[in-house]
Amino acid sequence: MKIIILGAGQVGTSVAVNLVTEANDITVIDTDPKRLDELQDRLDLRTVQGSGSHPETLQAAGAEDTDMILAVTNSDETNMVACQVAYTLFHTPTKIARIRAVEYLSHPEIFTQEAFPIDVIISPEQIVTDHVQRLIEYPTALQVVDFAGGQVQLVAVRAYYGGPLVGHELRALRDHLPNIETRVAAIYRQDRAIIPEGDTVIEADDEVFFIAAQKHIRAVMSELRKLDKPVKRVMLAGGGNIGRRLAIALENSNYSTKIIEHNPERAQEVADALHKSVVLVGDAADEELLIRESVEDSDVFCALTNDDEANILSAMLAKRLGARKVMALINRAAYVDLVQSTGDIDIAISPQQATIGSLLAHVRRGDVVAVHALRRGAAEAIEAVAHGDASTSRVVGRAIEAIKLPPGTTIGAIVRGKDVLMAHHDTVIEADDHIILFVVDKKRIPEVEKLFQVAYSFF
Amino acid sequence: MQINELISPKRITHAMPATSKKRLLEKISALLHEDEPELDETAAFQSLIERERLGSTGIGNGVALPHGRLKGLTKAVGAFAILEQEMDYDAVDRKPVKMVFALLVPENADEEHLKILAQLAGIFSKQEMREKLLHARNDKEIYDCLTG
Repeated sequence: MKIIILGAGQVGTSVAVNLVTEANDITVIDTDPKRLDELQDRLDLRTVQGSGSHPETLQAAGAEDTDMILAVTNSDETNMVACQVAYTLFHTPTKIARIRAVEYLSHPEIFTQEAFPIDVIISPEQIVTDHVQRLIEYPTALQVVDFAGGQVQLVAVRAYYGGPLVGHELRALRDHLPNIETRVAAIYRQDRAIIPEGDTVIEADDEVFFIAAQKHIRAVMSELRKLDKPVKRVMLAGGGNIGRRLAIALENSNYSTKIIEHNPERAQEVADALHKSVVLVGDAADEELLIRESVEDSDVFCALTNDDEANILSAMLAKRLGARKVMALINRAAYVDLVQSTGDIDIAISPQQATIGSLLAHVRRGDVVAVHALRRGAAEAIEAVAHGDASTSRVVGRAIEAIKLPPGTTIGAIVRGKDVLMAHHDTVIEADDHIILFVVDKKRIPEVEKLFQVAYSFF
Repeated sequence: MQINELISPKRITHAMPATSKKRLLEKISALLHEDEPELDETAAFQSLIERERLGSTGIGNGVALPHGRLKGLTKAVGAFAILEQEMDYDAVDRKPVKMVFALLVPENADEEHLKILAQLAGIFSKQEMREKLLHARNDKEIYDCLTG
C-alpha cells in the first residue's frame, strides 16, 4: 500500500517505523528538513519537505498514486485541510487525521464528505487515556483491549500461586466456571508463546491472554491469581492533556483522585475542570510531597507527564514509598523495554503501542475492524469481518476446525450481531461474523489477511 | 447477456497509462462514465476500490475484473482497458495484470447481473481471446474482438 504520512513528530515517526516493515511504500512530509534527514537515515522511505496541506507538496509526494493519507502533524487545522485537499484533488481513498481539539471533536458533523472528508479521526491522547483507565479498572491485568465496541475483551494477566487454575489443565476451567464462556488465546512462558490445548497446564508466572465477554472478565481473572483489591485511590503525576482527561474520567467513575502538576497555571486549569479531585502544585519526584500526600495509601500511582525520565523516576519513587501499583507513560521505545525488564515499575505505558493498532486496522487488507498490538508489537489481536459464502470465502460456511489457520494463530471468539460466541472446534462461521483472532507472530499477518480475502467472484 | 450491451466503443482503450492500482481504478471509473453521463464517476471509483479492499479481483493470466454495485444505476455498465504497462495487482496467480474489464451493476443487482461476472471470466480464460486483444492495434479492433 502506498501511504503518505504528514508530520515527522512523535506520532508520525512511530507510525512510519511500524508501517515501513510491512512492505508498504511510505513517503513522509514535514517542514523540518533535519527531522526528515534523521528519519531517512534510519528507515527505507521517501521524504518530501514542505507544508503537508499544500497541493504541490502532496503532488510531489506522489498523492495521485496514494491509497492512504495519515495527517498527524501537531496542527489540527493542517491535518484537516490536508485531508480536504487530498480528497478534492487526488481522490485519496482513505484519509486519517489526528485531531486533538475537543472544540472540533464535539461536532462530528464537521467530518463528513461534504465538509471535511476525513474517514477516521484518531486522538492519541484519548486512546492512551482509555488504555490507562482500563488498567485502573482491572488492576490485576497487564493489558486490556476491546473488540466489537467493548462487547468482548482480551485480557493479559500473569498467573500466580493461589489462582485455582494454576497447576491445572486448561480444560478444568469448564468445571471451575461452569456458567462462563472463555477462551485462552495464548500463553507466554518465559517469553515463549505456547498455543493452548485442553491439556496445557498453567504454571505460575505464565502470561495468559484470554478472551471473554466483558461481564465475565473478573471471574476468569480470579482463576489465575488472587484478585487485587478494587482501586479506590489514584494519584496522577502530570496535569497535561492525558492527565486532565484521565482525572475527569476517573472522577466520573467515583475514584478518589489526586493530581500533582508542577506548573501553577496549568494546575489551576485542571482544578477548574474538576469538582471532587485534589490538585496539588509541586514536583512529582519530590519525596516529601509524596509522603505528605500519603502516596503509600494509593492503589495506583500513574506518572503521565511528557518527560520520560521524570515519569520513570517518580513512579519508582512512589513504588518505594508504598504505592500498590505504579505505571509510567514512556515514549521512548528503548526505555519501555528497559523498565519492563527491571520490574520496578508495574506497567510501562507506551503511547505508540496503544495508538498504532487503530492505524493498523486501516492498513490491513480485507475488512479488518480493529487491531491491537500486543507484547510490544510482536503479537497482534485482530477483529476481522467474514464476507461472502462457502464458494467465495475461505472461512464462511466452515467449522473452525476446517479453517486453515496459519501456525500460531487462534480464533478466540465470534461476534454475531449482538451475540458473543466463544470459538468451539465445530462453530460454523457465517457471513458478516466478526472474528477475533490472536496472532502470536506478526510475520503471519499476511497469511491471516489472505484467509479473509474474498475470491474475485464475490459481488 | 451480450457483451455489446455492456460496452460501447467509447468505453474501450488500448493503451491506458497507470502507475498504481488506485490510479488505474480512477481512470477506469472515468472510462465507465463515457456514453453514460448519469454514471457518477466518484461513486464508481469508491465502489470499485472498496470491493478491491475485500480481496483482489485479479483472476489470473494477466486479467483483472474490478466490479462493484452502484446506487442509481439501472443496468450493468462495463469498460475495458489494455494497460500500457503491466502492473502488480495481487492476483490469484501473482502474475502482473495487463488487461482490465470493469463492471458496475445496480445496487440491488439480481442473479442475471451477477452471472455477467462469470461470463466475463469465461471469455478471458481463453488464451486465444487474450492474445487477440493484446495484439489489437486500436480501440475499434478490441471492440470487434470482444463483441464478435
